[in-house]
Amino acid sequence: MIVELLQTLLLLSLAPMVTGAIRSLKARMQGRKGPSVLQPYRDMAKLFHKSSVVSKDSSWVSTVAPYACVAAVVIAAFLLPVVYVGTFGLLGDLLLLIYLLAVVRFFTALAALDAGSTFGGMGSSREMFISSIVEPTMLLSIFAMALVTGTTALGGIALQVASTGLEKVEPSLLLAAAAFFIATIAENARVPVDNPSTHLELTMVHEAMLLEYSGKGLALMEYASMAKLMVFLTLMANIFFPWGIATSADPIALAAGLMAYLLKIFALALAIAVIESSMAKMRLFRLPNLFAVAFTLSLLAVVAFYILGVA
Amino acid sequence: MSVDIEEIIREAPSGLAIRKERDDGTVHMTVDTEGFADLVAYLHARGGRLVSLHAADRRAADGAFTMHALIDLGVIVEVECAVRPDRASFHSLAPRVNAANWYEREVQDMFGLVPDGHPDPRPLVLYDDWPEGIYPLRKDFDPSVPVPRVPREYRFRRVEGEGVHEIPVGPVHAGVIEPGHFRFSAAGEPIIALEVRLGYVHRGVEKLSESIPYRKGVFLAERISGDASAAHSTAYCQAVERLCGAEVPERAEYIRTVVLEMERLYNHIGDIAGIALDTAFAVPAADGLALKERVLELNERLTGSRLLRSVNDIGGVTMDVSREEAMKVISRLVGLRQQFEKLAATMFSSTSMLDRVEGTGRLDREKARPLGCVGPVARASGIDMDARRDHPYAAYRNLSFRVPVRDGGDVDARTRVRVDEVRESFAIIEQALDGMPGGPLAAEVKEVPAGRTAFSLVEAPRGEVMHWIISGDGTPFRHKIRDPSFCNWLGMEFAVRGNIVPDFPLINKSFGLSYAGNDL
Repeated sequence: MIVELLQTLLLLSLAPMVTGAIRSLKARMQGRKGPSVLQPYRDMAKLFHKSSVVSKDSSWVSTVAPYACVAAVVIAAFLLPVVYVGTFGLLGDLLLLIYLLAVVRFFTALAALDAGSTFGGMGSSREMFISSIVEPTMLLSIFAMALVTGTTALGGIALQVASTGLEKVEPSLLLAAAAFFIATIAENARVPVDNPSTHLELTMVHEAMLLEYSGKGLALMEYASMAKLMVFLTLMANIFFPWGIATSADPIALAAGLMAYLLKIFALALAIAVIESSMAKMRLFRLPNLFAVAFTLSLLAVVAFYILGVA
Repeated sequence: MSVDIEEIIREAPSGLAIRKERDDGTVHMTVDTEGFADLVAYLHARGGRLVSLHAADRRAADGAFTMHALIDLGVIVEVECAVRPDRASFHSLAPRVNAANWYEREVQDMFGLVPDGHPDPRPLVLYDDWPEGIYPLRKDFDPSVPVPRVPREYRFRRVEGEGVHEIPVGPVHAGVIEPGHFRFSAAGEPIIALEVRLGYVHRGVEKLSESIPYRKGVFLAERISGDASAAHSTAYCQAVERLCGAEVPERAEYIRTVVLEMERLYNHIGDIAGIALDTAFAVPAADGLALKERVLELNERLTGSRLLRSVNDIGGVTMDVSREEAMKVISRLVGLRQQFEKLAATMFSSTSMLDRVEGTGRLDREKARPLGCVGPVARASGIDMDARRDHPYAAYRNLSFRVPVRDGGDVDARTRVRVDEVRESFAIIEQALDGMPGGPLAAEVKEVPAGRTAFSLVEAPRGEVMHWIISGDGTPFRHKIRDPSFCNWLGMEFAVRGNIVPDFPLINKSFGLSYAGNDL
């Protein structure tokens, strides 16, 4: 039980560093030195010391949203196998996870509407437009994994795939992984779907929803999105490619599991940084094309299971 | 060209026009108030382009205001009429010549002369809380007395219909950029209409200039629009030099040319990088900004000023470029040119980038011409114009260069026109540095006689800059400045229609307009 707790704390505490690492990698690709990977921690510490300015037109929703978002992400993190896959069935399965992430989105979008500012409204309208197309993809790609392994418990999926070895590298797995990766980019507001480093309010999706926040509220909202990215990357690393994860709680296995986890997260961060550096953001109305590709991939993953798997 | 002009003028409707040629080759016509709009509209219909439309307060000397329209027919024709102070109105040109729209509103704000029949007579330049009946460019306005503020509301155009909503943006924006208010009427994401409200950085430059001696005016001109220091100061100096008949030495003209092209280089490279940045294409954006920085460093090395200030002076230039220095600059430019070609190749070989810029923010020729658009914006919409070639100044008549023109009218065309112009600028700087003649740096400048009129056109990075001066005693009596941005803002209102809101910043960037230059 201690191990489960510790590994979730590890995930939560590493989250800002991963965001920092992506920024730092991007800076290097642009020929800049960039800030240290620890910068997001410093930013958060700074924001926690600042007072919050709250619009007089906003309601309790704006006050509650940051806590609700952080709480939902933290609970989601507890559902995930990180370094060690143990007894997870008790806490909840992938359905709970997906709806916890929906809670984050719900509160973020609601808070953006709350103050009645222009950009917040535009941001939440775009966010809902994007997530309504992406959510089925996300569901379907994880369901494909559930079908392959015959369980909806995240730990169960990881354990099955990890213990059966490379045999499980079926078309379903790769198709579902590709679909889920596109969903990760879309859900976490990365290029080419959104631009996390822009100052142009009119083009923003996710950032536009946070414009009304300052101080502690902003720190919490930012932390929620950094932790959310980490949850997605961990899902990617441990549900689709769980090899290397510790299946027993002895120290050597745990150390190996930790190394494997860090490597996989770094590889994914690098992949995101490379994508963000090598292409322009897509037009807003071009996005459904990308999501249609992702959805088709996830659908194929399910179909492939029935065609190839059952036989 | 002069044969055409003769014919056009002979067929002109206004028989009352008094005509005279000036020594600088321009044609000057004086008409009565009634015939003014007809004559200007006629010249415009015959292919003339409205360069500027402005007024002057000559009540003290002649008992009347004067209106001046400059039309480019290959030769610049200036049409002038008197407007009596008791009537204080004139026939509006705007219904026939769309380009006159903002000029007439500006005249109305600054002089209190009412354009009769103007389709949109709302204030343009003055702040919303400026009291009625106070006109800053009239001679009886004392700028040292504070003006009371009165609550007034500016009415934006309204678009009504199901699902249409307004998006107010600015005047204060995120990022270190100039202030301007954009009011979108959108149905969901597609933009139905945009209204640009400017004037937030109106500093009263034209009024200020009337109290500044000519020589010091150079410093003022350099600060009209910070990134067009060389263009504005050159235009100002040339106008004053014409007023006093100073012959600028050839060497000074070559140095001016080099400086003007260095200015175009850093502006265009910065704009190209900005376009990449606004599409979130981070790597070429970073490369472009690094390249711009190298050009700025080269500027500092060459002139001591990153923004090329304090180079121009009335009668010539204040600094010399030695032969060795010129050779060093040329060799530095070779390296910069290679880096620039790499940057252009990266940008235009990326399909994700091309997908963002192609077809976005289209301004076709049929709109750009009547609006009087200038500079890269006009050239990207198929209008073949460039003051460097059409009205040569400095050393341009001795140098060979191409004026790139494209028909697309979209962000892509505006980007590519700039890329081509950067290539030409590299070549022009090399030619000018290589072929620089010897001789003095500045001519002796005599006192500027009062009561004369002169103007000058310079192709700034954003397009044609015009400075027009009536001389007074030791200072300009009236100094009209027309920045290219003033001509292009309306173009953007049309270019964004039918595009989606998140594409607006990119379109805005591709126009690359100055707020300070527009507001004055």
